[in-house]
Amino acid sequence: MAKFDLTSRMGQYLDRHLVFPLLEFLSAKQIYDENELLQGKLDILSKTNMVDYAIDIRKQLYPLQEVPESLKNRRAQVVAQLHELQNEVSTILKLMSNDEVMKTMETMKDSKTLLNYLTKDYDFKIELMDGMYRLAKYRYECGNYSVSTSYLYFYMLVMPSTDKNFLNVLWGKLASEILVQNWDTALEDLNKLREFIDGNTFSSALQLLQQRTWLIHWSLFVYFNHVKGRDLIIDMFLYRPHYLNAIQTMCPHILRYLATAVIINRARRSALKDLVKVIQQESYTYRDPITEFLEHLYVNFDFDGARSKLHECQTVLYNDFFLIACLDEFVENARLMIFETFCRIHQCISIGMLADKLNMNPEEAECWIVNLIRNARLDAKIDSKLGHVVMGTQPLSPYQQLIEKIDSLSVRSEALQALIERKLKARSQDNRWGAQEF
Amino acid sequence: MSRFFATGSDSETESSSEEEQAPRQPAATFTFSDDEEETKRVVRSTKEKRYEDLTNLIKQIRNFKKNKDMSSMLTSFEELMRAYQKALPVIAKEENGVTPRFYIRCLFEMEEFISEVWEDKDGRKKNMSKNNFKSLASLRQKLRKYNKEFEEDISKFRENPDLADEDEEEEKEEDEDDSEAEFSAPLTLGKTEAPPDPSKFLKTPVVQERDEDDDGSEDSMDWGSDSDDETSSSDDDNQNIAYRERFLKKTTDKEEEEKKKKEKKEKKEKEKRKQRREEEEDGGGEWETVKGGVAIPSKPKMFAKDAEIDVGLVVKKLSEIVAARGKKRTDRREQIELLHELQAVAEAHNLGPAVTIKIKFAIIASIFDYNPKVSDAMKPEYWEKLLDRIMETLNMVLDVSELTISEQILEEMEVFDKPPYKIRGCVLTVVDRLDEEFTKLLKECDPHSNEYVERLKDEKKVCAIIDKVQEHLERNSVSSELCCIYLRKVEHLYYKFDPEVPKQKQGLLPEGSVSSVNTMETLCKYIYAKDSTDRLRTRAILAHIYHHALHDNWFQARDLMLMSHLQETIQHSDPPTQILYNRTMAHLGLCAFRHANIKDAHNCLVDLMMTGKVKELLAQGLLPQRQHERSKEQEKIEKQRQMPFHMHINLELLECVYLVSAMLIEIPYMAAHEFDARRRMISKTFYQQLRSSERQSLVGPPESMREHVVAASKAMRNGNWSACKNFIINEKMNAKVWDLFYQADRVRGMLSRLIQEEALRTYLFTYSHVYDSISMPTLAEMFELDQSVVHSIISKMIINEELMASLDDPTQTVVMHRSEPSRLQSLALQLTDKVNNLVDSNERIFEMKQGNFFARGGNQGGFRDRQNYNRQGQNWDRRAREGRTY
Repeated sequence: MAKFDLTSRMGQYLDRHLVFPLLEFLSAKQIYDENELLQGKLDILSKTNMVDYAIDIRKQLYPLQEVPESLKNRRAQVVAQLHELQNEVSTILKLMSNDEVMKTMETMKDSKTLLNYLTKDYDFKIELMDGMYRLAKYRYECGNYSVSTSYLYFYMLVMPSTDKNFLNVLWGKLASEILVQNWDTALEDLNKLREFIDGNTFSSALQLLQQRTWLIHWSLFVYFNHVKGRDLIIDMFLYRPHYLNAIQTMCPHILRYLATAVIINRARRSALKDLVKVIQQESYTYRDPITEFLEHLYVNFDFDGARSKLHECQTVLYNDFFLIACLDEFVENARLMIFETFCRIHQCISIGMLADKLNMNPEEAECWIVNLIRNARLDAKIDSKLGHVVMGTQPLSPYQQLIEKIDSLSVRSEALQALIERKLKARSQDNRWGAQEF
Repeated sequence: MSRFFATGSDSETESSSEEEQAPRQPAATFTFSDDEEETKRVVRSTKEKRYEDLTNLIKQIRNFKKNKDMSSMLTSFEELMRAYQKALPVIAKEENGVTPRFYIRCLFEMEEFISEVWEDKDGRKKNMSKNNFKSLASLRQKLRKYNKEFEEDISKFRENPDLADEDEEEEKEEDEDDSEAEFSAPLTLGKTEAPPDPSKFLKTPVVQERDEDDDGSEDSMDWGSDSDDETSSSDDDNQNIAYRERFLKKTTDKEEEEKKKKEKKEKKEKEKRKQRREEEEDGGGEWETVKGGVAIPSKPKMFAKDAEIDVGLVVKKLSEIVAARGKKRTDRREQIELLHELQAVAEAHNLGPAVTIKIKFAIIASIFDYNPKVSDAMKPEYWEKLLDRIMETLNMVLDVSELTISEQILEEMEVFDKPPYKIRGCVLTVVDRLDEEFTKLLKECDPHSNEYVERLKDEKKVCAIIDKVQEHLERNSVSSELCCIYLRKVEHLYYKFDPEVPKQKQGLLPEGSVSSVNTMETLCKYIYAKDSTDRLRTRAILAHIYHHALHDNWFQARDLMLMSHLQETIQHSDPPTQILYNRTMAHLGLCAFRHANIKDAHNCLVDLMMTGKVKELLAQGLLPQRQHERSKEQEKIEKQRQMPFHMHINLELLECVYLVSAMLIEIPYMAAHEFDARRRMISKTFYQQLRSSERQSLVGPPESMREHVVAASKAMRNGNWSACKNFIINEKMNAKVWDLFYQADRVRGMLSRLIQEEALRTYLFTYSHVYDSISMPTLAEMFELDQSVVHSIISKMIINEELMASLDDPTQTVVMHRSEPSRLQSLALQLTDKVNNLVDSNERIFEMKQGNFFARGGNQGGFRDRQNYNRQGQNWDRRAREGRTY
């Protein structure tokens, strides 16, 4: 199972705080050695200020050992520094606790007028904002994500987007929102951040590429949890060339998520063709059961291969943090895809064979097909004596072809004629006006 | 005496015949029986003799030129030709076949003179006797014919007619003229007496001779100005005209006797002087060989005997010698000798490594200089010497730890005596020139001879030198220099196939072993990261792609090509880079073919093949000229760009791969669109081949590669895959083409599989309308394919709506749906197509009238070779990726 696990590849593009949910998930699945995972967590924590959590894990890992003094000291230090930072920006914190002020602030659109208002009425200094930024970061590092979101929200209200920390603030905000699982605002922040990255001209293409890669990974949290995420992920990953490029060059493993998103999104079948192209192009750098499933089905038309891959897909999905939620949907849709393709090619299929290809038993399969026919998704009939499904497709007759071809002709010609007439009229009018003047 | 008159013409005036004697004096020495003369004769070598003959004749010609005595000139010229013929063996021996410069000069001057006279029609008619005119015409023709042989040299001379030399010479003449003005009378009178024989100088030691010469020229400098004034006062209007021309003018104007006389005198002096000089020059070559043996006597010349030899002195001497470099009069061989000696001295006195290195660099430079021509290669013995010297020097440089060699160090800042040594110089340029010379040498050899192989063995040495320089430069690590040397290394590496690479890919080699792909990777990545000039990077990328393609790393090669966006920008780069680009594309195509990516292979190669100028585009040979498409200079430049033979890409292989891929794409397409009115050609070249074979009334069994492919295409059209395969893969084709691939069997296997598949497709396209249903097992049997493969191919065709059919699973058959449209129906369909076209074009015309016209177009045409690249971008399935990953 570990073969298809992407956590280690994803981890390098995620914030250390964002890795925790992944690790938690892994330990629940028990793919890896529990102690190794704990050690990994501890290593990650060592650079944050979440001392309490570190102590907990340490206890789990070495139940017999005492908690070392250094950690306790560290805790005291962290608390002290937090106080110090809070003192620095106490005026702002006071401001923020004042509901009235916050309300008026939200009504003001322009950061400049806001700034004037604050400095005039509330003894506010712009220099304090740096401290605010540090405090938010510190809070985040301590694990107080919700607090840090509100601080950063305030920061973004006050400061213009040209501020040097603005990008970092955006990232911080997104991370905090993800970690408090506030998906609506997270999506908003994600879009803001994307616009900022796309609109801003960073120093080099390389940096831009890096930023986009990070954004792609972080957005997975949002897209697979938000209701609208399934459409958006296709829009962003597949139809924004910059992001598609980033995926191709930096992180082809993202194709797994993209492929899954396309498969479970029945409304976006048109995206399949583009996706298959990308998958084929990258097949030498990345392949996993899900991309292989698509390849078998849409490139080689190898239904047996697709079936066996579908089987593997299930285990992969089951062990993936992001995809576990859409496992059932995936299987259902994948089956439907196999069946649809099958129907397009075949005139007559035996139910037994079909059931075999769909990983179902024959009765179940028959039931499934009957349901499909009843829902009018399929023009077919079942021959129960022979156990066949007979497709009702009619070949295209020459008459139909002819009609299809000349269908639009008259409309187009009329439109053209109208255009020319209008033009002529306009010109003759011009002439008349011109003649009157003399 | 009568001998003189035999050659000289009767129309000559007395004075001119007088003049004649002076120059011809040395030749006349044979007739004298003086003892003194006798001894002199012994000294003279054949070379001298021949040269003397030549120079005398040349002088004669000059004289006639001044008199416009065409008939005598004609005879002299003929004689000159003969004399030259005689002198040829000597020239070949002494000068390595390089035509002596004075001879070329004479030819050049004559040509100019004749064309001038010829142009001056009035003067010709008025002043010329019929006889003279006749001679002029024939002379002109003869000269023209003759000069063709020396065309190159003369054109070179024309570009660089060493004016300085000419002036100097003239100045000297003038000075002589002044100083000996008083003697002119006695001289003319006593012309029967031999003037001081120049060959006498031969006996005097070299050094003295040289000193004298120097003094003389120095004096002439002082005197020159006086004489210049004098002459300018005599004819003030012609002040600015070159001296030689002035003479001509005077004669044509037929000025007063006085002037004529004076001029004659001048001429005489000049000739005498020249003769002497030439003799000195001639002698130069000989003396040196002597000097090699007697190095000791010349040593004092370097340093005074009692002088204490230290660093400063040696460096001073070195700069003295080096200062003479590049001057016209400097003997290049002698310079090398001198430098060697200096090195010996320096080593004998233990002056430290820095001085030796400095001298060695000077030696290398002078060896480079030894070959005066830019376009020709140096002589092999010098080449070997050069290799050894450079190797020695580099070894030394590497041995000395605290040493910086850089161009930024000024002469004054050089440190020779104590450890952090600093030397002005550039190792890079040495390597660059070495590499250039190496390519030139290789190009000069016949690629099919042993000589070429022998020469090619030096490639190892050159590479070793490059490695050493790289090692040296890595110590200092100046990124721009490192980029240069890395690229140099890359360019020696990229076209070589390393058999280790496939082994490494299969994991046969132990981990950590370095193959050429790894080396390329590190070198190129460094260049990508550090290079600031776009050119180096472009070349590095291209070489990198080439190398990947060569080793079957198709995906890496493709991605690198796509990421670099070179297809869009390559037309703006310099021709050598474009050539490299073409070579890379060719190999990329071959690589795609080996990976069964037929479409990509076709797209890579189509631009190269379409023009029919593959040879030129890959710089593997010039096409024969058609109506002077290119001028002499252009041809020369193009010749310089040619690739040496061992880097060539096999053109037949290239063409075969292209044609076969075109066949695999085109034949099924043709079958599918047999009745389509709007069918378009995919590959023009392939069509041409097909058509030319169709035109033949009788088609015999295929012989050439092209005929094989055409025959195979015809077989495939009928769905006969085995015949097709036998035409493509047989002994003849194996020997010609396929065996050239690494892992040829794999390629053949791939190819036969593809032929089977495409033949199946063609078969279905062509014959589907006669079937109501076809059994898949039968098809599989027919085409010897797996049933699953057949299933997959047919499914694909159904999905893509190429085949109107569906599968019947229980019976394993393909059921055809398409009823063949009746004649009326198909006509109606065609009509609708045409009406559709009409509406389309109407709309387009309307848009055009609306003025949306400017969006179209763009400039067409452009540079002949570059047109292709524009098209390239469209064909190649472009995937824009931002930035570069490196």
